[in-house]
Amino acid sequence: MTSTFFGLEIARRGMFTQQSALSTTAHNVANANTPGYTRQRVNFEQTTPYPPVGKNSPTIPGQLGTGVEAGTVERVREDFLDVQYRSENNKAGYWSSRATALEKMEEIMNEPSETGLSVTLDKFWQSLQDLAANPTNAGARSVVRERGIAVAETFNYLSTSLKSIQGDLKNELDVTVKEINSLASQINNINQQISSIEPNGYLPNDLYDERDRLIDQLSSLANIKVSATPSGGNALTIAEGAYTVEIVDDNGNTLGTLVDSKQKKANELTVGYNSGNGLVESVTIGRQKLDVLDFNSTGKISSLIDSYGYTYESGTSTFEKGLYPDMLTNIDTMAFEFANKFNAAHREGWSIEDYNSDTHTPVDFFSFGDVSLTDSRGAAELIRISDDILESTDHIAAALPNAAGEVTIGDSQNAQKLADVKNKTFSIDGNTTSFQNYYEGIIGGMAVDSQEAQRLTSNSEVLRDAVEVRRQSVSAVSLDEEMTNMIQFQHAYNASARMITMQDEILDRIINGMGLSGR
Amino acid sequence: MRVTQGMLASNSLRHLSQSYTNMGKYQDQLATGKKITRPSDDPVVAIKGMFYRTNLTEVEQYKRNLNEAYQWMESSEAGIEHANQVVQRVRELLVQGNNGSNSPTDLQAIAVEVGQLKEDLANVANTQVAGRYIFNGTKTDTPPVNVEDDTVTVDMNTDAFNVEVSNGVNLKVNINGTNVFGQDLFNTLQSIEDALNSGNMENGDDMLGDLDKHFDMLSAERSEIGARYNRLEMVDARIQDQEIIASRILSENEDADLEKVITDLTIQESIHRASLAVSSKVIQPTLIDFLR
Repeated sequence: MTSTFFGLEIARRGMFTQQSALSTTAHNVANANTPGYTRQRVNFEQTTPYPPVGKNSPTIPGQLGTGVEAGTVERVREDFLDVQYRSENNKAGYWSSRATALEKMEEIMNEPSETGLSVTLDKFWQSLQDLAANPTNAGARSVVRERGIAVAETFNYLSTSLKSIQGDLKNELDVTVKEINSLASQINNINQQISSIEPNGYLPNDLYDERDRLIDQLSSLANIKVSATPSGGNALTIAEGAYTVEIVDDNGNTLGTLVDSKQKKANELTVGYNSGNGLVESVTIGRQKLDVLDFNSTGKISSLIDSYGYTYESGTSTFEKGLYPDMLTNIDTMAFEFANKFNAAHREGWSIEDYNSDTHTPVDFFSFGDVSLTDSRGAAELIRISDDILESTDHIAAALPNAAGEVTIGDSQNAQKLADVKNKTFSIDGNTTSFQNYYEGIIGGMAVDSQEAQRLTSNSEVLRDAVEVRRQSVSAVSLDEEMTNMIQFQHAYNASARMITMQDEILDRIINGMGLSGR
Repeated sequence: MRVTQGMLASNSLRHLSQSYTNMGKYQDQLATGKKITRPSDDPVVAIKGMFYRTNLTEVEQYKRNLNEAYQWMESSEAGIEHANQVVQRVRELLVQGNNGSNSPTDLQAIAVEVGQLKEDLANVANTQVAGRYIFNGTKTDTPPVNVEDDTVTVDMNTDAFNVEVSNGVNLKVNINGTNVFGQDLFNTLQSIEDALNSGNMENGDDMLGDLDKHFDMLSAERSEIGARYNRLEMVDARIQDQEIIASRILSENEDADLEKVITDLTIQESIHRASLAVSSKVIQPTLIDFLR
């Protein structure tokens, strides 16, 4: 038979256990709005029944239950959803950063508008037509010069603005690298705390939450894979262990370990820049150095590398790729070809100066400052009106010699030829095109790129949000549910207390009401 | 599926912000009157927009060039017309002087008028339009005809002055000045004047023949410029059509359809109201409100 106080013990256990459940409910309610908080649940466990199985156990009918205890306090969470969330968050991080970089580019290119390069060029061609109709008019010449200056300045503006955004992207890249390293070291710290708590048989739920929150953040910056190393000791089977965080490529192959749970350390991620062109050349994770082409991973950091630009060598040539370097190359090519084609036509012509001195001195209309460019690099930034033209509009060559080889001041054949440079087709990048078409192609390419980035940003965000909703559905705190639980636990607590009152009455009966016969 | 307050709140927030984004889009369209504000809104519209703009600028420029061409041609034609009248008058005077019934004083009086007409013709040959001598080919900075001590010297350039009136179409807008104000004509007038002054009208009939030759040349030049003027008018009509088409296409391509945008905005507004109302209802009550 059990002891007289057996019932008291069951009721006490009940009260204690319900109270711990109520504390957990209070914790859940208190953290209802904490970002990244996972609701917790007390796992109730029945205590060993009486009598336990054994050779000397008393023979009584059946086993008596001995009550309840709080087994573990567990997070209600589904790992699979975390993996899904992080994968979508990674894509969203890549595309939204790319979309932002392209949006800024669109703002700079500012097409179609009344102030973009396209319209500035149109106006320049227009002024040449006016010159062709009025070759001796000083006003028409001044307009040609001013419009020419406007074209050069627009090229300069596009180039310097693109370079300035590119510089911002580099800063953002550096900040993102710092952020990744900071997250890695925080995760490593939490890993260490978890490894010292788990072997004692505890579940550090709040640390798990904190770590998951950090990993969620990290997932938008880099494509990561998480695996766990059990803590050993008396760790519970549901203990989560220390996390190893690896950066992986698009196929899930590891590129390097960011947080090493076995060595208990965080590895630094660094981005290596080329000393010549300043573009990204390599990515190093710990001691693992990767050429930028091998770092084919998604996430914000890759997107920033793509936008800012990277460089690699293949054979004997160096290649520069990326959204901003490509656009800069495009407008450099355009400025270079434009200036050269225009100058070639201009050098053919006779200016008023030539007419007056009766000798033909070929003069460039555009120049690249003091630099003589052999290829297009830097052309858009350097292009300006040549000193000759700046000095006097009399240097604008509007005339061509007639059939008899005579030049007249009112002749406008060359002005017409200059205006016709607009429609000349020539070869750029292996394509035969005109300036207009080439530029439309550049803007069209950028627009399609940007549109794609925006579409994929919104797609990946929708997917991420859908997973987040599913995750919330499992892990978020529902106040209604907590209140229901609270009532449930409260009533169980009260009922256990009532059991004690009942036991008290039994004992009262035994002590004060029994064995009084013969008194 | 288990639904929590937090989920409802974040859903509400997401829907509201989506709704604001849509309203922002319509606001942009209404404020700018354009379907797109950046190329990525619609790459095709953007590229076409650039192309049509250039097209329209070209058309506008050709219109300006056409005005220039009209000015040249009309002034040139007026010059021919004037030359025609002068030659006509000289012919009348010559016929009058040639009839043998004139006294030397009469002939000298006629000679004075011929001399005046000659100088008048020289003046017309030096017509300037916007500071340019339009009858001197492309040598527009110097007068083609010089009058010194009653002697007229012609030094005329006959190069074509072309104006581009539509893509790749260059139209000659000046005339061959030598056909109208050539040295020959002035020589003929001079010899008529000299003959009248000297009273020797032996070559009178030959001079009449010379004048008739000049008439022929004048009318040939006149019909040529007339034909070119017709061509100019045809190009003008075409350019004006093009301008209308180009503006219309530009507008169709990128202008927002206001009725549609306003309707869409109104619909979006009511969706937004509904969304706000739903949010306020869905977020508020919890079990706590009903527990005592």
